Amino acid sequence: MKTKKWTVDKGRTVQSLAQFITRFLKLDASEQLFIYVNQSFAPSPDQEVGVLFDCFGSDGKLVLHYCKSQAWG
Amino acid sequence: MADDKDVLRDVWFGRIPTCFTLNPDEVTEREAEPYYLLLPRVSYLPLVTDKVKKHFLKVMRTEDVEEMWFEHEGTPLKWHYPIGVLFDFHASNTVLPWSITVHFKNFPDVDLLHCPTNSMVEAHFMSSIKEADALKHKSQVVNDMQKKDHKQLWMGLQNDKFDQFWAMNRKLMEYPTEEGGFRYIPFRIYQTTNDRPFIQRLFRPVSTEGNPHTLFDLLKEMCPDALTKDGCLQHLLCLPWTSFMSLTLNLCFSSSPPPKVESASLLG
Repeated sequence: MKTKKWTVDKGRTVQSLAQFITRFLKLDASEQLFIYVNQSFAPSPDQEVGVLFDCFGSDGKLVLHYCKSQAWG
Repeated sequence: MADDKDVLRDVWFGRIPTCFTLNPDEVTEREAEPYYLLLPRVSYLPLVTDKVKKHFLKVMRTEDVEEMWFEHEGTPLKWHYPIGVLFDFHASNTVLPWSITVHFKNFPDVDLLHCPTNSMVEAHFMSSIKEADALKHKSQVVNDMQKKDHKQLWMGLQNDKFDQFWAMNRKLMEYPTEEGGFRYIPFRIYQTTNDRPFIQRLFRPVSTEGNPHTLFDLLKEMCPDALTKDGCLQHLLCLPWTSFMSLTLNLCFSSSPPPKVESASLLG
């Protein structure tokens, strides 16, 4: 993904981010996308981004990794 | 934690008497009898409802059966929340047994995540454990455990084996005493009066002065509106779960003075 930094509403869910990335990268809608926090756990799809930022953000940002296959799960 | 073993057992073996009734709009070949079951508070619906499914499938044709889902008084029940949380949040004020309606059609995609297999529950559970450890130990303990240890943790939960589960979970509950405890306490607070699903924020186990934080301190910081002027808890549900369990156990035994609790559930 060329643009790595995005501002996202706190109330958005992980699932909506996954859908956004899928569309943005023009991936097959049927392909599963895994999203990870701290390269260690995959938050629940209905988890709010704001909560993840509050708990796992640093330097004013939350770093998420996305993957088409299970990486750290 | 040795002294707390009785509490740990009580929490683990907590059960909710439940009555499962088939949604009257389902197409059946004959009338479906309700099915009664004691649900473990610490588990998840897909793990413990195979018998429920088998029972109702006996009166239905395969073509009328899609993914099973549950609802209580019109609210779809999120399978990825521990059963104890679901009960306390939706039905703690109702008469027992807890009434759950079973559906096999019209899966509410907007409200519920799909759960095709138990591996999905396992993946979700393990992620929760990892998230909790990220808060407690910067993920060091969970990452140092071997894959078979993770598997044992999961199997302990799935098969309702307290000793098997805690043999592994106790590693996740350890902390070096010189550091005052976990880095942060993993907790989630569910409130019926809140729009947001739950409150989850960073919270240290000790204050800046070095005093252990109590449950009261946590609630005062996270949901002060739930406390009345003289510190009474009103209708508040606290969830610590599995490794999120640390909150209940550590803070409950160090509160002074203990907060007056009117209606609260400590789960986990």
